[in-house]
Amino acid sequence: MSSPIDKAALEHLAELARLELAPAEEAKLLKDLTNILAYFEELKTLDTSNVKPMAGGTFLRNAFREDTERENTNRGAGIEAFPEEKDGYLRIPPVFE
Amino acid sequence: MTPLHDLTIGKIRDGLRAKKFSALEIAQAFFEYIKDKDPEIGAYLSLRETEAAREAEATDLALAKGEALGPLAGVPMAVKDNMLVVGGPATAASRILEHYVSAYDATVIAKLKAAGAVILGKTNLDEFAMGSSTENSAFQVTKNPHDPTRVAGGSSGGSAAAVAANMAVAALGSDTGGSIRQPAALCGVVGMKPTYGTVSRSGIIAMASSLDQVGPFAKTVEDAAIVFDVIRGIDPLDATSVDQIYGTDLLRPKLENVKKLTVGLPEEYFIDGLDPEVAGAVEQAVKQLESLGVKFKKISLPHTKYALSCYYIIMPAEVSSNLARFDGIRYARLPGIDDTEKSADRSALLHAYLKQKGLGYGPETKRRVILGTFVLSSGYYDAYYEKAQRVRTLIKQDFDLAFRNVDVVLTPVTPTPAFKIGEKTDDPLAMYLSDIFTIPVNLAGLPGISIPVRPKKGLPVGFQLIGQHFREADILGLGQYYDKITSA
Repeated sequence: MSSPIDKAALEHLAELARLELAPAEEAKLLKDLTNILAYFEELKTLDTSNVKPMAGGTFLRNAFREDTERENTNRGAGIEAFPEEKDGYLRIPPVFE
Repeated sequence: MTPLHDLTIGKIRDGLRAKKFSALEIAQAFFEYIKDKDPEIGAYLSLRETEAAREAEATDLALAKGEALGPLAGVPMAVKDNMLVVGGPATAASRILEHYVSAYDATVIAKLKAAGAVILGKTNLDEFAMGSSTENSAFQVTKNPHDPTRVAGGSSGGSAAAVAANMAVAALGSDTGGSIRQPAALCGVVGMKPTYGTVSRSGIIAMASSLDQVGPFAKTVEDAAIVFDVIRGIDPLDATSVDQIYGTDLLRPKLENVKKLTVGLPEEYFIDGLDPEVAGAVEQAVKQLESLGVKFKKISLPHTKYALSCYYIIMPAEVSSNLARFDGIRYARLPGIDDTEKSADRSALLHAYLKQKGLGYGPETKRRVILGTFVLSSGYYDAYYEKAQRVRTLIKQDFDLAFRNVDVVLTPVTPTPAFKIGEKTDDPLAMYLSDIFTIPVNLAGLPGISIPVRPKKGLPVGFQLIGQHFREADILGLGQYYDKITSA
């Protein structure tokens, strides 16, 4: 079976994931992904049409907390932990050009 | 002073009370030993000498005032570097988080501190907990203390090696597909992954959120039980945590109850590819447990062989979503990347993302992010991701059915003892296969413990006990009595 991931698809996925790949990395990834996806083919032999998907770690219902006021994360610690700040504001690369 | 290799949580408690040593003396002795020993092992990424001394002094002060001691008072512990300890690093062994400073304590860390633990430092792991050998760390390879040419296992290889090499009395790790149990088995220590939802994940750098769970490493099953009892409990900061009540049998199991347990041996785990050394050791453990009066029964978990494929679809899917936050803008940045550079088809922001993540992530992280992005992408979602979720249900149902006839399931932990450093780094699929016996437990959300077979010549081998949801007491109870009959 031909792999569903070719060079163009891999470059598209990398762009979606915001990952820059060097040419050597691309070649190795293509080879690895082709092998891994071929291994997954075994799942096709299993009939799962009447099986419910397990969407989380358990089948438990959603857990809700009380909708009440609560203390926020300490603002100072949050800003200190950020790579760059100026006058108490977070400094990031330009978003609008 | 008592030799470090001999210390357990109980011996520390007794020694402190009898004034044989102070908590500060113990902490200092451990740092001295770590500085001597760790250059050859590479278990720690960072040490907390100043903070640990303060934590130890708090115990000594409480003792001097006659105050009650916490269950981990003065116990030197190591913590995997994907957990936040306020004011210190949490690199997840990734370049992209090299300069991050933790803004708060993870819930499990707050619980360790409240129990009096002395946190010695942060341990090495595969980048973002992704790997089975700790070779994927961006900083160093952790060596197996039993043979430094072999891997310590992973991803919590640093925590396992620290305990095995007497550089900590106990440690925390995280387990998404075997990352506590597999290195515990390869390093010859006890490691437990609790039931999904039992321990808070708040403040742990998320890998695959429906599978991740934090658990203890220790030298004895009793110590693992004590640490588990400290870190467990519902937490409003983790919506998947569960309010579960545990009885006194969690810490003090009764032999008459343990004897009544029926243990299942699943035929799908005792396969031809199993290393003879592992098969022989696991058989030895079965015979030793039989001598306690425990009954064994052959069982079948028919969907076992699909677990690896199922896991390697669900896990990367969750990884690709969880790791999106590490974009080189929040948390930490790689220095030296110009964030004003742009080109005709790339904005400065896109350029910064591509560079930061491209240089900040290692090869295995990239592989899983790309794979996860693929299985979630339009056109492939049903064929891969949803299919895997259905298979996950079948794997969980296998265990549900088995637990109608048995209380506990016993299996090997790994197909082979510790492999050579570099042996599997070029072939990701071969590396993934080293987790085939631990992955189904995470998919089903069950508790599992790895216990070293004793006595054992040569490399360590572990056996795995899998319990029913929230029945950690069964596997820990059986394990405590295994320790008793084999340590005499």
